[in-house]
Amino acid sequence: MVTHPIPAPQAGPTGAQPKLRITALSKRYANGVQANEAVSLQVLAASIHAIVGENGAGKSTLLKMLYGLEVPDTGSIELDGRPCRFRRPAEAISAGVGLVPQHLKLVGSMSVAENIVLGSEPVRGPWLDTAQARREVLALATQHGLAINPDARVDTLSAGEQQRVEILKALRRGARLLLLDEPGALLTPQEMQGLFASLRALVRAQLTVVLITHKMAEVREACDAFTVMRGGRVVGGGPAAEAGDKRIAEMMMGHTPAATSVCRVDARGRVARVQVRDLCLLRPTGRPELMQVCLDVAPGEILGVAGVEGNGQNRLAEILGGVCAPTLGVATIDGQAFTGRGARQARRQGVGCVPEDRLHGGVAPSLSLADNSVALDYFSAPMSRAGVLAESRIRQRARALITRFGIRARDEQVAIGTLSGGNMQKLVLARELQAQPRFLVASQPTRGVDIGAALSLRQAIVALRDAGAAVLLLSADLDEVLALSDRLVVLFEGRIVAHFMADQVSQQTVGRYMTGMAADHGAGATLQSAITAVPQGRDSP
Amino acid sequence: MSAEIRGGGTESRGDRGGAGGTGAARPLLAILLALALGLLLTCTVSDEPIRAFRALLSGALPDVRWSAEAGWSVRRLARFGAVIEDTISLSLLGLAMLFGLRARQFAMGADGQLFLSALAAAGVSVQLAAWPLAALPAAALAAVATGVLWGWIPGLMKARYGANEIVTTLMLNVVAIQLYRLVITHGFNDPTAGFLATPMLSSGVTLARLVPGTQITVFVLIAPLAAVLAWFLLNRSTWGYEIRAVGDSPAFAQHCGLPVRRTMALAMAIGGGFAGLAGLHLSHGLLKRLPVDLTPGIGFEGLVVALLARNDPKAVLLAAFLYAYLKAGALAMERASDVPREVVLIIQALIVLFVVCERLLPAPVERWFARCWRAGASRWRPVPPGGSHREC
Repeated sequence: MVTHPIPAPQAGPTGAQPKLRITALSKRYANGVQANEAVSLQVLAASIHAIVGENGAGKSTLLKMLYGLEVPDTGSIELDGRPCRFRRPAEAISAGVGLVPQHLKLVGSMSVAENIVLGSEPVRGPWLDTAQARREVLALATQHGLAINPDARVDTLSAGEQQRVEILKALRRGARLLLLDEPGALLTPQEMQGLFASLRALVRAQLTVVLITHKMAEVREACDAFTVMRGGRVVGGGPAAEAGDKRIAEMMMGHTPAATSVCRVDARGRVARVQVRDLCLLRPTGRPELMQVCLDVAPGEILGVAGVEGNGQNRLAEILGGVCAPTLGVATIDGQAFTGRGARQARRQGVGCVPEDRLHGGVAPSLSLADNSVALDYFSAPMSRAGVLAESRIRQRARALITRFGIRARDEQVAIGTLSGGNMQKLVLARELQAQPRFLVASQPTRGVDIGAALSLRQAIVALRDAGAAVLLLSADLDEVLALSDRLVVLFEGRIVAHFMADQVSQQTVGRYMTGMAADHGAGATLQSAITAVPQGRDSP
Repeated sequence: MSAEIRGGGTESRGDRGGAGGTGAARPLLAILLALALGLLLTCTVSDEPIRAFRALLSGALPDVRWSAEAGWSVRRLARFGAVIEDTISLSLLGLAMLFGLRARQFAMGADGQLFLSALAAAGVSVQLAAWPLAALPAAALAAVATGVLWGWIPGLMKARYGANEIVTTLMLNVVAIQLYRLVITHGFNDPTAGFLATPMLSSGVTLARLVPGTQITVFVLIAPLAAVLAWFLLNRSTWGYEIRAVGDSPAFAQHCGLPVRRTMALAMAIGGGFAGLAGLHLSHGLLKRLPVDLTPGIGFEGLVVALLARNDPKAVLLAAFLYAYLKAGALAMERASDVPREVVLIIQALIVLFVVCERLLPAPVERWFARCWRAGASRWRPVPPGGSHREC
């Protein structure tokens, strides 16, 4: 890239000085994966720089090398013109680099202040000086405009607030270059805007931000510059103002993405395939996790469930998948109840289920791809006879699934845990579709999956709908829910608080219901239920 | 992305050979390291450490000599026979432990299963002494059935009531061993024996010796067959599929509708069946009569074997042989040198410790070793010795 000597650091409001310069950085993992290859990029001081790319493009590896979690094989990293070589995070931290990981690493049972000072606590004698910690955190929060209550327990905070705690933690350790790994993954649109406002404030205070994202809108609206990575290399970049969604998507995927327009179905008035009535789930403590959820799904329809995570979506999916029994209420498929009788019974009645966390419930990581593909029908002919698995038939079908769903794997014998998230998820969906469900419950079907794979997964779900199946789609990705669903409900604290036609509502409106700023009490989502009226005509269809 | 996958693909293919190779080689290295440490330890307590150590390494082997007057003669055959007998017991107990472990159940009940099934087999044989043709199959059936039952009980307790299987199996071991002693002390004993023991099994109903001077019986064939059966059960049967799935990810098994609870109980019951075979070997192959003071604890050596074999049935025989060989060598070392028994036991424990913790090898050692291994592997192409591949 640039080879001329670097001028001495000059702090100044111009922001033209490169804060970070990476030259020809390469990293090959022990398992042979070339994660980064000759990556070069510059980040100007006091700017927000986005790194975009599909999963497996090498973005996280790059971030890890900047933070000392991985050591590059070749190439150099320069901070403020000084070459750096971080062997461990402590060295990166002392050089003024801070990382906000994608999955926040906080101690839930401790207060905000305690979490922020953790690792470098102010002490008085042998004791933690809580008052001093509190003061420091308050001062820091005020200085950077990141409002937070230092005494709140971290596990009572929302994802956005927890992220703020992580940012403050990095700042307290003297970070001048802040790295954020997919900060938007868990946030609502409102929280996302709040985060970017905070980052802007940091940039005004001469900090530099590098963040990883999947979402083109974030790049365009909130960043100054961007770099696109694909297959471990830099394939493009430039000022964010010049970024076009389509162009970036092309660069990320290496080809033009197919159009994702989905024709919507208005199933109101049809006969429901799945009827969920008054579903309640109480914890042993009596706290409700689900309260009187009523919904219908018609054949050939996708009902989306939006909501901030932890508002009952996972429980709803587990009940409908037969994994856990509801306290009250019942769900029927074509008139026959299927809840509370175990997963196998639900599946026998035609329910398919893509679990929320593929590594937890979707796959058995150290079993082979073939073994994973046969989990739903291993016990019956033709996959087994008299208790003996028909190994060759199982493998043959697994190979067919690999081809049909474009799963990238060496063969059907590899342990599925060695595949990338997208490929794992393709297998999960392939397995469910293979069973030809009449009703599919899909939780977070494309979480952590790259754009190309997400696209094919979504197409498969829509194809299933068009073939006449009922689909319940639960996703924290509001874009996805809005793009795929025909109707849409919002869950808040275990209740349905809104019921929309998905093509007639905006992200902002749904976001207000998701965060509890608005609620349509007594909303239901049967095929006869009324659509929630949005006040003040905020939305234009 | 695609480049990465392709690169990863070719590389990991090469890697697989390496991984399969290191799968067998790393325990070897661990054993070498443990022996080296043991040698150091021996030097501190012995005046003749080399001699003592030679006894440890070769003491278990038969002594083949040639002399002008007698020609070839084999001595100490009984000692090597003991290694083989031990290998058989240990591999059956290793298989017994392995099933529970593969289903993520830490069932420690092999000891109790072994005691009760040996007793049951002996009892059946004494009752059926008049019908020698029926006695042996009936005894085998009784042994396996007792093992299965005694494994299934804690399995059921876990599946039904969530009772911790470690606690239940350990307690059931106590019950089984005391029951064994009770039965032999009050009733099922031979007053003419001179000590408290079951009646001697007549030679018609026991297993015949294949090699004179040893207790090697047809079990020398049954143990490998049992390993093959275990492999088949785990990898080719629907039950085995359930065990592997539940063991790898209970949440996955639950979501896919696998009978998780039944599988827990089943895995423990199947393991009990293998312990039952070990019981039959004990009563009908090794002892022929069961003394009341039979020492408990061999079940836990089965656990060590299962861990050494990393829960892979194909590696169990080798692991059991290694363990038995070292045990016999340690005994020889104790006899042939001034090294006290305690040190011998420490060396034995070190070896197990090193093999089980081989992942804790310091990184430089591991890198050096990986390099040596790769260099060696490229020199001799056909790498993996038997039992080095992991199926799971």
